[in-house]
Amino acid sequence: MIGLNHYLLLSAALFAVGFFGVLLRKNTLVIYMCLELMLIASTLALVAFSRFNGTMDGNVFVFFILTVAAAEVAVGLAIIVALFRKRQTIQVEELNALKN
Amino acid sequence: MNYELLQAAAASNTWGAILPELLLGCLALGLLVLEIVLPKKRHDLIPALAIAGQVAILVGLFINFRTGYLGETTFNGLLKHTESGQFLRAFFLLSSILVSVLGVVALAKQKMPRIEFFHIVMVVSAAMMLLAQANHFVLLFVALETITVGFYILVSYTRSNPLSLEAGLKYLIMGALSSGLLLFGIVLLYGVAGNPALPAHTAESMNFDALRLFLAANPDNVLASIGIVLVLSGVAFKVGAVPFQIWIPDVYQGAPTPVTAFLAVASKAAGFAILLILVRTFAPYASLTTPVLTIMAAATILFGNLAALTQHNVKRLLGLSGVAHAGYLLLGVVAVSATNSALAVGAIQFYLFAYLLASFAVFGVMTHVAGMDDADQDLDHYADLGKTHPFLATVLAIGLGSLAGIPPLAGFMGKLLIFIAAFKAGLYGLLGVAIFGVVISIYYYFGWIKAAFFSTWKAEGAPDTRPARTEVSITARLTLASLALASIILGFYQGPFGDWLMLR
Repeated sequence: MIGLNHYLLLSAALFAVGFFGVLLRKNTLVIYMCLELMLIASTLALVAFSRFNGTMDGNVFVFFILTVAAAEVAVGLAIIVALFRKRQTIQVEELNALKN
Repeated sequence: MNYELLQAAAASNTWGAILPELLLGCLALGLLVLEIVLPKKRHDLIPALAIAGQVAILVGLFINFRTGYLGETTFNGLLKHTESGQFLRAFFLLSSILVSVLGVVALAKQKMPRIEFFHIVMVVSAAMMLLAQANHFVLLFVALETITVGFYILVSYTRSNPLSLEAGLKYLIMGALSSGLLLFGIVLLYGVAGNPALPAHTAESMNFDALRLFLAANPDNVLASIGIVLVLSGVAFKVGAVPFQIWIPDVYQGAPTPVTAFLAVASKAAGFAILLILVRTFAPYASLTTPVLTIMAAATILFGNLAALTQHNVKRLLGLSGVAHAGYLLLGVVAVSATNSALAVGAIQFYLFAYLLASFAVFGVMTHVAGMDDADQDLDHYADLGKTHPFLATVLAIGLGSLAGIPPLAGFMGKLLIFIAAFKAGLYGLLGVAIFGVVISIYYYFGWIKAAFFSTWKAEGAPDTRPARTEVSITARLTLASLALASIILGFYQGPFGDWLMLR
């Protein structure tokens, strides 16, 4: 029988993968995927809580999160594309022109 | 849900309560329509109209300051209207106006679309005004994300400049990471507070009032503690507190100067607005939040001031000194968290207002001194400013003096009030760290003033690397003069404004 804890463990694992991916990966696009993974992990936990607690708020909140994530992706990819055109790279270690 | 409940829910959607935000949003959309309708050569009218419209909304807000909605919740508990909320609404509108004024000056130097800048600034400000009255996690998240996504665009606005884009990318990654942390914290709190097995569980578990009651009934819940720490870390990213300050110097340097000002003042104030709301919501867990915030405040004050000592780029310098200011404000938040003192809330608001006056004065001068490349603003560029542009140099000196907390300027009063609140809350150790930080900060602020007023020795025939300074227009001159004047007057005489802030 799959219970609430299984969903929460999966969600925490996904969140951890996303979080450490953002900190450790070097390619901007992979970092971006990891950021989305963090949001999706939260969404999974939200739906599970909503189902097992018997409140609808969580399900409604998911739609807000998806909308926000879509807006973020639209703006984020535009910035990444514009930056690639200028610098011909999206590796974070090469994007270090800002310094004292 | 039955019919009567739905009817009651619909009846609480009183749109009049958010009239200023609605008007601001409509004005922002109207600008885009005007851009299509007006002929190209009349487009210079649009920024003037944007500023005039925002001033009109601000005046309307002041006339209707003591609105009938004070103390009530509307939109099914999404919004709670308080006097602090009204103050912050006016605060965000004022900073939006000032950013628009700076934007007119800065955008004239770039070949860039103009109107969208004002549009996004106004939409972001409207979201900040809503955020200051949030009483529900859904509204908090959506408003915060509207602000953050708007700032992604604003930071990378000069898209022909790779530095601006790089700053935008860094802000994007850091901002999205912090949103992820915040969201996971919200989800944990929602799940725990709705758990039917726990006492005082609630169906409205994202509502702050219901959440506080739940937390009071369950003082040692592990999941709730993790959720609280995650939510506080997410907000700490936005205000730039240590250890979440790594994005600040790069993003501040790369962003166009008016946007840097907007980030430094309004974004930070928005972070503190929700931090104050959250600290009171999490009051039953004060034994957890107070130590976390105390360590954060001490580290933030020390890091900000020490890191700013070695900076030569003035935008990075202001960014890191802004980290230190976030530390002083956190000191006030710790006082609220420890004793729930109304004095500390008033002190934080006074500090924010003094910080707004001083910061916009300094950023206004920076906009005029900067050349085509916005990211390259060195201390050396300020050489002889006192001789060639005495007006700008005076405003700069007053602004920096107020930021450093030199009596009798407004910044000094702000620091004093926060320190008094901290003293009354018994935070002696933290107070010592803060005073040490203030002493260090005087060094780098005065280094800048010195660069502006005293000429440096230069080799014979050495090339002049300073970019050409912009002529100060009448509007900008009036704005800067009133900012500097307000900094001086508010230092001597707080008057009814100070009483109102302190005695609530």
